[in-house]
Amino acid sequence: MSAVTATISEGEMDAARAKPALRNEGARLGFRLTLPAQILVLFISAFPLLMQLYISVTDWSPLSGTGWWNAWSMWNSFANYTDLAADTRFWSALKRTAIVMVVCVPAEFLLGLALATLFADEFPGKRIFYSILLMPMMVVPAVAGYMFFMLFQSGGPVNDILSSLTGHPVTIAWLSDPTLALIAVMVADIWQWTPLMFLILLAGLVGVPEDQIKAATLLGANPWQRFATIVLPKMKTIIIIALAIRVIENFKIFDTLYIMTGGGPGVATETISVYIYKLTTQDLIWGYVAAIALAILIVLSIAAVFAMKRMARTRELVA
Amino acid sequence: MKRSIPFEIFRYAMILVAMTVTLIPILWMMSMAFKPIAEWSATGADLTWWPKDPTLSNFQFVFGESTNNLIVALDRNALKPILSSLLSAVFGTAIAMSAGTAAAYGLSRFGSGQNLPLALIQLRLFPPMAVMIPVMIMWAFLNFTDSWWGLSLVYGIVTLPFAFWLMKTFFDDVPREIEEAALVEGCSRLRVFTRITLPMMRAPLASAALFVFILNWSDYLIALLLTTREWVTIPVYMASLSSSMTGQLYGAKAALGLIAAVPPVIMGIAIQRHLVRGLTFGALKQ
Repeated sequence: MSAVTATISEGEMDAARAKPALRNEGARLGFRLTLPAQILVLFISAFPLLMQLYISVTDWSPLSGTGWWNAWSMWNSFANYTDLAADTRFWSALKRTAIVMVVCVPAEFLLGLALATLFADEFPGKRIFYSILLMPMMVVPAVAGYMFFMLFQSGGPVNDILSSLTGHPVTIAWLSDPTLALIAVMVADIWQWTPLMFLILLAGLVGVPEDQIKAATLLGANPWQRFATIVLPKMKTIIIIALAIRVIENFKIFDTLYIMTGGGPGVATETISVYIYKLTTQDLIWGYVAAIALAILIVLSIAAVFAMKRMARTRELVA
Repeated sequence: MKRSIPFEIFRYAMILVAMTVTLIPILWMMSMAFKPIAEWSATGADLTWWPKDPTLSNFQFVFGESTNNLIVALDRNALKPILSSLLSAVFGTAIAMSAGTAAAYGLSRFGSGQNLPLALIQLRLFPPMAVMIPVMIMWAFLNFTDSWWGLSLVYGIVTLPFAFWLMKTFFDDVPREIEEAALVEGCSRLRVFTRITLPMMRAPLASAALFVFILNWSDYLIALLLTTREWVTIPVYMASLSSSMTGQLYGAKAALGLIAAVPPVIMGIAIQRHLVRGLTFGALKQ
């Protein structure tokens, strides 16, 4: 290519010939630039997935005394998958994950929306309040877990506040009661992630054209009507994105919860991630864990395809 | 828009409530970190909200000096976990940012790697716990377990989606006229990228890097699985702090928690403007 272009003097080179040459150079560079990312993605997806699939049909464990490549000698056909269907601890962990999600995500959404509405226009002190209200989402989740672990101790600040509010000493053992422990971890999740909802929804709210709201005001719409007929429809895509992000992240809930309760008391706060973690590090039945993990990945992938189509459409709308 | 006084009062009252709820856990940890043992181990009626007798002994303790004979000095101090957190987060950020920035430019300008956006979002979708078994096996095989570089590599891959998406939205927003002018001047495409575009993108690059750093620094689960003793990170080390005499070492844990919490909070406030883009994979432009 370069030999050809070199023989043609610059004056003779017309645009039609120059463009493909440039385009080729661009294509080559583009390919090279994306290569490292492609390799990293492949490294963490394709090969591990195959390995996971392989181990999931065996009884292999790190204690079995043989390398994972010899796991075929422990082939158990699909016993791991049939065990999964009968594993009540798995299903209750899944149910618990769903309960946490159903409580936390709407709570974070409504609180975030309320805050965003308060912050929609300018007022003195806005910037500093905004910065402080966003702080929880930047606190390391494990540290947040430890904060709430301290707060919910039976002689801790939460009970101290309750004592002064009610007038007599309160000594609730939050983290050792099955129901209260679940409530405590949900409080921690809501504390940490409401700011994210607030941030995203405020970004959306600011993007609603002000002249439309003004027009509606002139036409005599009250604040609630303005909100329901103009603001809400305009924010539909943003709301979907915000909810999708929290649903996905909330499904993975681990750090905060595990530091606070370790999944306990008993299995009262054991979510899917905590259950898999315990199987991986305490029971060490890796063949079974691989099967559970794959089952979850398959279900999530199907959900992802739907979500992604939606996201792609919203991106076009926003862009 | 017109303001009514009752609304303003309502607004400030609500913000005050939200600020109180937001700040109580943070302030409690700060207060615990500066309390001497008699105060941080107090419960119920003896609880003190502010340290009456502020001390740095908790910080001294986590760095290996015990000032109280109730608690035996640690056999190892927090310096190594801090170093481990720092090294793995910094190198993880370097991996994610270099691969992510290059790929973002490749896709934004030349349309290469069309599969990446989807693949990278999918990477983010799965619970880390569900993909860690093969990684643990691979890392044991490669002898990467319990090393800061092994941790860096996983961090780099896990945060690659954020680096890529942030940089892609930034590149998409940059007008191409300057690049085209440089091309006409005879610059090669690569030179345009390294000498013209990247220097122009210094500020966005910095915010994306800070954002990725916060994510890496915040990890607990991956470090918990991939490190055992030598290169545990701050959160893992923090969780292990307890003594046979007093049980949970509240003061020391709070001191360490404060050390872990401060950098991301400061960085987060510095890059607030870009947080929405980062967290929504650029689906929302701000």
